[in-house]
Amino acid sequence: MRRTFQRALAIVVAGAALGLGANAVSPRRIPLLTPPPEPTKAQDTVALKDAETLWKSGTGYFLDARSPADYAAGHIAGAVSLPVEDFDDHFPQIAPMLTPDAPIIAYCDGQECDLSRRLMARLRELGYHNVRHLVNGWTAWHAAGLLTHTGSQP
Amino acid sequence: MKWINLILRLILGGIFLASAIAKIWDVQVSHVHGIQFSNVPDLATFARDVTSYHVPPRELANLVAITLPWIELLAGGLLVCGIWKQASALVITALMVVFLAAIGWAVAHGYDIRCGCFGTVDARKVGIMALAQDAALFVIAVWLAWRREDKPQPATETNP
Repeated sequence: MRRTFQRALAIVVAGAALGLGANAVSPRRIPLLTPPPEPTKAQDTVALKDAETLWKSGTGYFLDARSPADYAAGHIAGAVSLPVEDFDDHFPQIAPMLTPDAPIIAYCDGQECDLSRRLMARLRELGYHNVRHLVNGWTAWHAAGLLTHTGSQP
Repeated sequence: MKWINLILRLILGGIFLASAIAKIWDVQVSHVHGIQFSNVPDLATFARDVTSYHVPPRELANLVAITLPWIELLAGGLLVCGIWKQASALVITALMVVFLAAIGWAVAHGYDIRCGCFGTVDARKVGIMALAQDAALFVIAVWLAWRREDKPQPATETNP
């Protein structure tokens, strides 16, 4: 039994060493310690009230960064599904409706959710500078009693 | 019984091998692009998944993401090959305890996050189903770790 524990320990130590070594030589290495989260900048987020105004005016594009299943279960009325996890697959279908200056609002769900922030970053890389994200978007929108839809269509 | 043990060993080891590979090389499966993966170890996605569990201390999430898949790879590989069977099953048992605790933590806090169990290959979220599946794997791992070796211990070991 003691030998089994020694071997188990050897597996853990060797695995950890392999991992540290592979990460050290990988061109896509990540830092050993998780960097602190980027502070949210005011110009990155949109207040629910302003999002509602944009929505009512029909000038803003709402993009749902969550999975298609979450989108189908309920989304902001008129929002288009653009799951950030499958961005490359979905973006080509959505690109034709966006212009570089279009006000875009990305959202996901939950205070801790960073899908919308990541979607915002991807879109900014592509030159869509007028994109912001609605923190806790789905819950906030739903709780405010604003119009929502279910299903896979906007 | 021997056959059952062999099958369980291959299933458990195979699952660990597959999940380790999916995490380390960031394997992605999509309808449009098919199977894509990084040709070098790329743990950024998995590190984000680990961070999303919000298990303190936050700073150590990357270290877990860097080392854990390789321990899975080694333990799963050894179990499949039938080398150090009990020891690798013991390591997998310990990992399953860690996974169950992490998923339990996320469920208890109501986090709506991706499991990350197989990297991004499965979009499964944490929840009762993920807990049940991991509990089943835990039982298999305990069974393989605690049963006696097939071969009797060589007599020479008991001699002075």
